[in-house]
Amino acid sequence: MTVPETLHEKLGRSAAEIASNGTPVTAGHPDVEAELARYLPQLGRMGEQLKQTSKQIEESVVGVCDSFQGIAARARATVARATGFIGNQGQSASGKQSFEGLIDTCSSTLVRIMNTTVEAGDISRRAIERIEDMNTASQQISDALSQLDQITNSNRMLAFNARIEAAHAGSAGMGFAVVAVELAAATVKSRSVTGQVGELAVNLRALAESTLQDLRRMNERDSERIEQSRQEVDASLRDLQAAHSEMVEMLNGITAEGALLATDIGSAVRGLQFQDRISQRIGHVIADLDALSTRLEMHVGNVAPGAAPADEGFSAYTMQEEREVAGLGEAEAAAGDVELF
Amino acid sequence: MKKVLIVDDSVSMRQMVGFTLREGGFEVIEAEHGQDALDKLKGATVDLVITDLNMPVMDGITLIQNLRSQPAMKTKPILMLTTEGLAGKKEQGKAAGATGWIVKPFDPEKLLQTVAKVLP
Repeated sequence: MTVPETLHEKLGRSAAEIASNGTPVTAGHPDVEAELARYLPQLGRMGEQLKQTSKQIEESVVGVCDSFQGIAARARATVARATGFIGNQGQSASGKQSFEGLIDTCSSTLVRIMNTTVEAGDISRRAIERIEDMNTASQQISDALSQLDQITNSNRMLAFNARIEAAHAGSAGMGFAVVAVELAAATVKSRSVTGQVGELAVNLRALAESTLQDLRRMNERDSERIEQSRQEVDASLRDLQAAHSEMVEMLNGITAEGALLATDIGSAVRGLQFQDRISQRIGHVIADLDALSTRLEMHVGNVAPGAAPADEGFSAYTMQEEREVAGLGEAEAAAGDVELF
Repeated sequence: MKKVLIVDDSVSMRQMVGFTLREGGFEVIEAEHGQDALDKLKGATVDLVITDLNMPVMDGITLIQNLRSQPAMKTKPILMLTTEGLAGKKEQGKAAGATGWIVKPFDPEKLLQTVAKVLP
């Protein structure tokens, strides 16, 4: 039993024949012609399948690249905002104060408030000292009045004795008696005035004492509050500074991530170029299929022998991998190489 | 801002080269093939041309020969960006007036460095 020849075997034999005499090799082989006529349209369809596949891959890659552009743009905007926010210029792009500038302003304002409060405490302390001085002076006035009172008593006794002596002197002491009476009257008036002044001094002392008590209480309370406020302000400033440091750290992290993202996107862009290479290789295969189809058309008589491509018309390969597969390996520059002339 | 013309029949390649250059601070215009590039350069000037080699309608070598015949483009840098790495092809490019040859796939950082080198 004879093993039937495959189309490939028939074409292989026929190719040898056409090479020797240029006659369409299917002549006299109606079965081969029939098979060729049957399978030739498949070559066109295969080419179309490859074209569609190539187009779909390209559309996908364009979509992915669009996404990368969006990611890169957002990353760039985020990094720019972060960099502006942590800048030392004091002003952000919006014209408002930066966080660092805000901390400085808050810190200065709080320090001014604290200083003002401390100054108020000092004034209050000085007021206490002055009122204490006034109180001491008031006491000294009372002491002086007491001495004045003793002098008045002495004068009163002197006037009384003068009147007794004037009475003993009779008519000769009449003038002296008048002086004694006037002295007694002056003593009464003097006592009345020293009494009023003494009363005023007592009232003044009482007033000074109560004012002192109020001021001391206020001063004591203010001192506690100032100390408490100072501690709160210190704590708040420390918290603000810590928050700022954390934020700067975080923003520096974002900036670093942005740089890494840019590198990753660069790698992705390089990786995505596989599509261009695939697309070109598919294009070359399609061109080969077309050339093959034309040559086979010649064998079934659809194309004149002269219209068929020469063997060298096949495979206009541009990439090293293609040439290697086709056995056309030749030294050439590697992918990514740059040469300036 | 320096202006770069990218010439490539692949939409995705134009997009990737354009993306890289825009990220690098360049203004980019695109053309699908050599003839499209010549049309777009009528009445316009660019600082650099980056072109593919194998394209329909007009290939990269023919484009460079055309550009070098124009006074405005006589000294402007022109880079080839192609999958082709054969020495013979490179020689053709050099003879036509190309400034440099980059084999695809390109590294974005390296492309920007090369562009910086050839731009005055």
